[in-house]
Amino acid sequence: MKEQLHANKVQLTYATVLSWTSSLGMIFIVAGYLVYVFQLLPSAVSPAEIATQWHLRASEFHKVVPVPSGWDWVSQLGRGDVLSYASIVYLSSVTMICLAVIIPLFFKEKDHIYTIIAALQVLVLVFAATGIISGGH
Amino acid sequence: MNQKAFPATGFFFLSAMLVSLLLFFPTAAFAVQSQPVVQTPWWVWEIALFVFCFFLGIVAVIGGVGGGVLFVPIVSSFFPFHIDFVRGAGLLVALSGALSAGSPLLKKGLANLKLALSMALIASISSIGGAMVGLALPENVVQLSLGATILGISLIMLLSSNSAYPEIAEPDTLSKILHIYGIYYDEQLKKDVSWQIHRTPIGLLLFIVIGFMAGMFGLGAGWANVPVFNLVLGVPLRVSVATSIFVLSVNDTAAAWVYLHKGAVLPLIAVPSIAGMMLGTKIGARLLTKVHTRVVRRLVIALLAAAGMRALLKGFGI
Repeated sequence: MKEQLHANKVQLTYATVLSWTSSLGMIFIVAGYLVYVFQLLPSAVSPAEIATQWHLRASEFHKVVPVPSGWDWVSQLGRGDVLSYASIVYLSSVTMICLAVIIPLFFKEKDHIYTIIAALQVLVLVFAATGIISGGH
Repeated sequence: MNQKAFPATGFFFLSAMLVSLLLFFPTAAFAVQSQPVVQTPWWVWEIALFVFCFFLGIVAVIGGVGGGVLFVPIVSSFFPFHIDFVRGAGLLVALSGALSAGSPLLKKGLANLKLALSMALIASISSIGGAMVGLALPENVVQLSLGATILGISLIMLLSSNSAYPEIAEPDTLSKILHIYGIYYDEQLKKDVSWQIHRTPIGLLLFIVIGFMAGMFGLGAGWANVPVFNLVLGVPLRVSVATSIFVLSVNDTAAAWVYLHKGAVLPLIAVPSIAGMMLGTKIGARLLTKVHTRVVRRLVIALLAAAGMRALLKGFGI
């Protein structure tokens, strides 16, 4: 195809990784949600309990409803509510995965500026994901 | 173009109804944010959210806007969820759309990785700051500033006229250092179009502001990315739209993590919204040739203005 001639190797690699990881993400979030709402696995909090409090501010909501947030769910993957939350965490990691893949490609092409920019971008996202700045768990 | 009256009439009534509801119904009729809403079963809200987002997705794609910008003001008006959770879901709606659309645009060479990475790095840092500020502010301040922002967006959409192929006499020094230039195959012109950019430092400054607002309100920022790429930097319109989607995926990822850590993401709200919006967007794309897109775009602007007014009124406690 004519258009593909104008996308370089790094860009095509990013696109391929993005296609796979994002499709997987969509499957995960729908599957996780269905497992949770149909109570196929036990959950700490039922959807009905959440619905009684979802009018509250996030900070107040978490004082009364023990739903997962940040990384506090990692040891409880067998729970339906955690599985659904984990699928969203995965979706939020897709961009990081794609960027991490292209750093070595930029480096191989001796494109030092974009090796640094892509590495810094991954660092920013990892920093956000750790929750250090947002006071996460 | 195959213009059919029925879908256009349907969209007119749908949008007109939403505008009327947003403007004239009291806040308490929909989103009772200070009191629990227990009388309606949770699954009714789930189905309603899915169906609502499905139609929002159709209207958004035909109106030429991202779903995120319509999602936050309208869902926070019609549903009983706190605006913290609506903003968290709004970011994920915009992120999912960007992730799904990103791959083909990159493969075709329409989205430009170097242009996107240069702008996204600085914008993603400010979107983290925006998300933190947005979640720390009192609710009425968020509503007021959201209302003002949404009204501003509707004004930008009403007044801005894009330039399909901007002429750049000389690229600036920074864009030369960053190797930001490109070539893409234009299907309309049936030929390759090469492009370069200017005013890169101004663009970077504007992306700081855009990132901050996207993080603060949980909005996708296509409404701002595209004019900055196109009108300020001089990127061709098609490349601007495609690259904007890529930038959005990076910025919204950064902000989404802040919302995740602050506990402002509930799968019960986010997943039906994402699924409904994605499905609606796909249907909307198929209907694109069958409806009067200009009419729908004007209705979307009216819808945004009404949602902005409503957020302002809520901010004032009216």
